[in-house]
Amino acid sequence: MTSHAQTLSTAQDIHAPRVRLWRAALYLTLTALAGVMLVPFIWMVSTSLTQDQYVLSATPSLIPNPATLGSYQKLLDLLNIGGMFVNSLFVAVLTTAGQVLTSSMAAYAFARMRWRGRDVVFALYLITLMVPAQVTIVPLFILMRLFGWVNTYQALILPGLFSAFGTFLLRQAFLTIPREIEEAAFIDGASHWTIFRRVVLPLVKPGLATLTVFSFMGSWNAYLWPLFVARQDSMLTLPVGLARLHGQYLTQWNLVMAGAVISIIPILIVYLFAQRAFVRGIALSGLKG
Amino acid sequence: MKTRRFITVLLAALLLLAFVPAFRAQAQTTTITYFTFSAAPDHLKDLDLMIADFKKANAGIDVKVQTAPFADYFTLLQTDLNGGAGPDVFELNYENFVTYAAKNVLLDLSSQTAQDKTWDAKAYYGRALEIFQQKGKQYGLPESFSTVVLLYNKALFDAAKIDYPKADWTWQDAIAAAKKLTDKSKGVWGLYSPVQFYEFFKKAAQGDCKFFNDAQTESLLNSPECVTVLNTMLSFTKEGVMPTPADLGGVKDDELFKSGKLAMWVNGIWQFSAMKDAPFAWDIQLEPGITRKAHHFFANAVAVNANSKNAQAAYTWARFFTSSPAAAKTRVAASWELPALTDKTLVADYLKVTPPANRQAVFDALNSVIPIPVIERQSEMQDKVTAALDKAVSGEFTPQQALEQAKKDVDALLKK
Repeated sequence: MTSHAQTLSTAQDIHAPRVRLWRAALYLTLTALAGVMLVPFIWMVSTSLTQDQYVLSATPSLIPNPATLGSYQKLLDLLNIGGMFVNSLFVAVLTTAGQVLTSSMAAYAFARMRWRGRDVVFALYLITLMVPAQVTIVPLFILMRLFGWVNTYQALILPGLFSAFGTFLLRQAFLTIPREIEEAAFIDGASHWTIFRRVVLPLVKPGLATLTVFSFMGSWNAYLWPLFVARQDSMLTLPVGLARLHGQYLTQWNLVMAGAVISIIPILIVYLFAQRAFVRGIALSGLKG
Repeated sequence: MKTRRFITVLLAALLLLAFVPAFRAQAQTTTITYFTFSAAPDHLKDLDLMIADFKKANAGIDVKVQTAPFADYFTLLQTDLNGGAGPDVFELNYENFVTYAAKNVLLDLSSQTAQDKTWDAKAYYGRALEIFQQKGKQYGLPESFSTVVLLYNKALFDAAKIDYPKADWTWQDAIAAAKKLTDKSKGVWGLYSPVQFYEFFKKAAQGDCKFFNDAQTESLLNSPECVTVLNTMLSFTKEGVMPTPADLGGVKDDELFKSGKLAMWVNGIWQFSAMKDAPFAWDIQLEPGITRKAHHFFANAVAVNANSKNAQAAYTWARFFTSSPAAAKTRVAASWELPALTDKTLVADYLKVTPPANRQAVFDALNSVIPIPVIERQSEMQDKVTAALDKAVSGEFTPQQALEQAKKDVDALLKK
């Protein structure tokens, strides 16, 4: 690492005025872009704090005046936000755990075990990625109805437990691990399971973190499938429940935004935790080789 | 070793979850499902009150409510009904009623009403009951209705020192008043009633313009009366009293009225609760007419699933929900649209709430309601007429040419 820094400083003087100016311009541009990305979120929070009659005023402003927490209060009165939150959390956590577990095991089998037909089966996995969800919804719904699972947790969780995308992602991660490590473990008498759990899995933590975030986000924000299978108020998840705020003639946007703010919080938390794993993983892999 | 066992147990538990049968309540009572779009989100508690009253009067029947946002409601309903299952009772609005009735998924309630000793057809507002019949059979019971009236900003009228709109106004009177009220420098406009399908068929009825001949074999949209109607509608923007979409600049008409920048606004009574806290005085009046008055009338109904296994219980709930005094009182108290019933005492409380003061106009409008012109290929007709109207608005066609085009298109749709 020291040699790397030395190389950089001999190539160009990083404190030269021209480089500084260039870097300042770069930072400014990036800050502006970051600001642009943040504006919708600021707008969302701002609208959730606005009073009813000013929500769609002809003169919009980023800072609500007067600001009020009334929308949150009203939202909690109108909808069973607590119940929906718990439902969403339950479904998302189980789905994510299931996806990470099944995808990592499948990915290991595809990346590190040799068996007949392995590549054909993997190609089939990839082909399923090309089928849009809307196409499979009707047969899946009929299947759920046959099982009697409409309006149950089984219907919300089980179809989402497996992920071809996750398998693909983790297989790529596993393929980057050098074979020597495994071979060394084999020689020491480890079984596939031990290698999977003790050797390989800890090395793909960034991949696992990525999959966790994607899985959680996908499951937390899922609208189409839960719309079909969660009809009773007690089974609603957050996105489906919040859609009820769009009435036949009117939509109270401040309530919708308050709901959106509430539903973003868990994703932020998951991402913050996963981010640590990202950074640690990158730092660790930098030291290798 | 321990972790391996733990993982095995976890996996086995997950697999077992797959085999847990869905919990079913012990069926001593008949349970029916009611699917609705109008209850969520503001009126779920009111619906629960009505169900509680219903259960007191009808021991042994339980009602499970399923809701969906309006935008997705009909997709979900179709999915359910196509599988042969589906809710026992569900809500329909008039536009979709015709399609569902034609597909034989609604139970003919005539046999139920014949057996029902308490059935009184006169309890319902006649027009509302009629529109949910097909070929003389009753397929739906009207649950609520709303009308479209003229909302006006009293403060703007006071400032311009003109009289408020009267019940017998024509559109010429309205345009004259609007000219005095429009002040482009302040961004204030006189009136808003856009050229689109719903407004067009209503103004057509006001101006004696007929959509079809009586046998519905030919369209009469190119008649001189229809051209006059379209010219009247186009004159709002031509006289400079109504904003074009460019003038609005992305602001919607309800925002314009709410911010006090629109003097007269043609819209439905569902806007009353949204405008409750408006910072200016406002009231309503009957919509101006051309040769006669005509008002929009929208109604929602509840229908029973033709494949329901609990038809009797479902009908009892539908009947209670739409016509019992208890349910009607809850509905009016919650401002959850208006029950389509003839008993004036039930709506007495509705008339007392202000704003607006002139709530009687909501009911006066019922004397001149026109239904939406319906043919089998309904949505195609709406699309074609809208396209022709758009061409007249943009100036690509003259009103006469636009209506000739509309006539040609609708004639093609009327051919069997």
